[in-house]
Amino acid sequence: MPTSLRSAMRKIWQTLSSIKTGVVLIILVVIFSAAGTVILQRPITEPDDMQRAYSPAMLRFLDATGLTDVFHARWFVALMIFVSFSIIAASVERFPNAWRFFARPYKSPDEGFRRVLPVQAQIPISDEEQGLDAAERGLRKMGFKAERIVRTDSFSLFTEKHRISEMAVYIVHASLLLIFAGGIIDALYGWRGYVQLTPGSASNQIELRSGVTKALPFSLRCDATGEDTYSDGTPKRYWSKLAVLDNGREVVRKEIVVNDPLVYHGVRFYQSSYGRTGKIDQLIVNAARADGKGQPQEITLRPDQAIDLDANTKVQIAEFIPDYVVQDGHVYARSNDIVNPAVHLMVTSAKTNQVVNYWLPEMPGIDENASSPYAFDPKDLKTGFFTGLQVSHEPGQWAVWAGVILMAVGLTFVFYVVHVRLWVVPVQDARGGFALWVGGSANRNRDAFEQTFKRIVEEMQKELKPEIAADEKKTAASVTR
Amino acid sequence: MARASAEQQQPAAAHGTTLIVLVGLGIAFLLFMAFLNVVKSGNLLNEANLLYAALIFYAGAGALYLGFGVTGTQSYIKFASFATWAGLIANTGAVAHRWYEAGHPPFASLYEMLLSFVWTLAALTLIAEKRYGVKVIGTVTMPVAIVGVVLMQLLHSEVRPLVPALQSTWLHIHVTLAMLAYAACALSFALAMMFLIQDKMKTETFLAATSIFTVGIYAAILMRFERWGGFSVVAWDPENKTEVFISRGVRLFVTIPDLGWLMLLVFAAVAAPLVLYILAAVRKNDGFLSVANRAVFISILLQTLALVFFILRARDGRYPSLDAEGLYPTSLAASPFILSALVGGIFANLLYLLLLWRRPDLERLLPDADALDRITYKTICIAFPLLTLMIAAGAYWANRAWGSYWNWDPKETWAAITWLVYAGYLHMRITRGWRGRRAAYFAILGFAVVMFTFFGVTYLLPGLHAYA
Repeated sequence: MPTSLRSAMRKIWQTLSSIKTGVVLIILVVIFSAAGTVILQRPITEPDDMQRAYSPAMLRFLDATGLTDVFHARWFVALMIFVSFSIIAASVERFPNAWRFFARPYKSPDEGFRRVLPVQAQIPISDEEQGLDAAERGLRKMGFKAERIVRTDSFSLFTEKHRISEMAVYIVHASLLLIFAGGIIDALYGWRGYVQLTPGSASNQIELRSGVTKALPFSLRCDATGEDTYSDGTPKRYWSKLAVLDNGREVVRKEIVVNDPLVYHGVRFYQSSYGRTGKIDQLIVNAARADGKGQPQEITLRPDQAIDLDANTKVQIAEFIPDYVVQDGHVYARSNDIVNPAVHLMVTSAKTNQVVNYWLPEMPGIDENASSPYAFDPKDLKTGFFTGLQVSHEPGQWAVWAGVILMAVGLTFVFYVVHVRLWVVPVQDARGGFALWVGGSANRNRDAFEQTFKRIVEEMQKELKPEIAADEKKTAASVTR
Repeated sequence: MARASAEQQQPAAAHGTTLIVLVGLGIAFLLFMAFLNVVKSGNLLNEANLLYAALIFYAGAGALYLGFGVTGTQSYIKFASFATWAGLIANTGAVAHRWYEAGHPPFASLYEMLLSFVWTLAALTLIAEKRYGVKVIGTVTMPVAIVGVVLMQLLHSEVRPLVPALQSTWLHIHVTLAMLAYAACALSFALAMMFLIQDKMKTETFLAATSIFTVGIYAAILMRFERWGGFSVVAWDPENKTEVFISRGVRLFVTIPDLGWLMLLVFAAVAAPLVLYILAAVRKNDGFLSVANRAVFISILLQTLALVFFILRARDGRYPSLDAEGLYPTSLAASPFILSALVGGIFANLLYLLLLWRRPDLERLLPDADALDRITYKTICIAFPLLTLMIAAGAYWANRAWGSYWNWDPKETWAAITWLVYAGYLHMRITRGWRGRRAAYFAILGFAVVMFTFFGVTYLLPGLHAYA
């Protein structure tokens, strides 16, 4: 029983770590990701649009299978986890061999190895010691520092560069796993939300994506907010002056703009939007007595604030309509955009206890402007602005950025750093004389390496020239394959 | 035999000089006319003029490459190369001027992206010619460059200051990497195609592929077909120089009457070669193939007709809309993708004809299949790290601008899919030893995904990435 269980586990491991599994998983990820871009996704698309796009039966099917929120569906997450396992398994399976290759360099090639190596050459020499010296000098000229490998009765040479290149693939895969880990941490422990502030207000309530409201241990106060525009009116810059209040004390102050957030205790506040609240902030009017006596005074009216015009008369804002339309004797708001503003003031006379409804602009049939003790001439209207801030907490992002940097390093090594090895072994050639066997190996860009190898052999031959007799110079070294 | 071919070459050489001289005169004439016009108005070396000069030179290069296509004269390639150099210099001037005027690198609007893209295309053509010895790559890239510059003439080109979300160094880094990565992918696609030519893939297979591609284009275009024969395009607001929106993110469409019928007719015409190819394969009768090749030629004429009518109708006239009262104008700038698709279809078919008529010459001029296979691999070895860095830079920028580095936004997701496809290519090549045909198909698939990421996502799938 144990043997069959062990063999079953062995089979499972082999499947999991095979390239085929990896490719199949990648294809599945591609298919489902593509589906997630084509099928309308739930949190982003309004429910009305969803119902308009799909028939009820189709929508039920899509919702049930999770295709309306693919990237957060359990099976998609499971698929990504499975991909991670496959990468880990494939790496673990192959790593021991690669490590053995990496940790124990093959410095002294035996005859079998020498026979079958594709890139090799033989250089005839007269004296072993001098030949190897020349070879060493030749290698040094080409930028390789040779190591002398002592054998029973002589020595051979070995040199290599960039052995780390053999590990490059594992660096890349490890970086991918690091990025995944970061993503998983953020999915589990991170959150994202939104908060809207008006100048002067503070809040610690964040409305999360999921609909839940989260209370932060500190609060954020908005001191001012604004928008700079270009001369043609397009927005140039949205800014907010924010302050962080922790335990009642102001700890941080920052003016943020888009692309430059405020960070406090791992929580980031981003300038996301800016707009009018549609509510009145200030109304500046010139108030003049209806009977013409006295001087007109300029008053600033704020919502919920009654201003005394004189001992007997008070005025305050009753209503502000950003975009008014008159219908059936009533004033209605058509929209929340400041297009046709109208203000409803209430003028109270203490003597008569009368309240006059004063409208700016005049509304024939509705307003009582004629019977008001004061006439008002509007000078300026300031409406309120809000600043919309995206808030996020992403503890896993450091793993993601570390993974990205590691991947850049890994890819550089994979594509551009080549592990090159060279051996020089004194041998006896076919005729019984001395010769140097020179062999080389590169783990990438073999065609470029073959050119380099040719030049190395030429350098060695140049170093040997003083030692070789004039006629032996003509004997060519053969580059076999 | 030898004398016959020598005699054949004699008249060909004579024609050769004639065309070169004609093209040279044409370039000189157009430049002179433009110069006169410009001297009248003043500023000589501004962006518009430099771009026009670049267009003239690229058109000259394109004409010479086309001349090679028709007659097979080798010397055309050399002069086409000169013309490409001249065009690149003018283009560099235009880019520099634009950068200086705008205060930021040219990446902020479709116009600027096209400017950068055309420059990259010309630069890569010359690099491929010098470094890799692939001298005919201009036949593919120059037509695309011409199309790009023509499209630019139709778009509004005001220097628009950047909206807040685009004011970041990371924008420049991300977009530069994207341009380089996509250009490298385009190059690998061209090289993979050349490999298939050198690998003796049958001309009929290219016929089928080109036909499927064109059919796909017209099928996508016909998504805008209205039942009574109209063709829907986005309405254009000529005063504000922008598309007309009914509400946030929802565009207003107008229907050009009868254009839909023409598109349907052309769809039938481009489907004909494919049908004939299938018939030839099923009935094992090569006679169908020669009919199919003639059908390709006819379909090119009809496609040109569709393009011309589209341009004429889109530029003038006010059309009714199904969603709103009244008549609205449209503009070519409102339909950049339809325009690119129409032109792309024409050029793909022209390239097929080049292959059909000049295959032996092409095979002589191009490197051998093995070399092309290795060069394709090397190009993807450059494209893949660039893609990786592009995605990483985009994620970092998104994090600073919108608060999260990965949103599963359609553009992000498709960029990741592109990355996975090229990763697949590398895996198959390195670990499974895939070479030759299979590797070439993979490279072509990769580029198809790149094109979808670049065009399809913006055109078909809306999202956060609305800038380009």
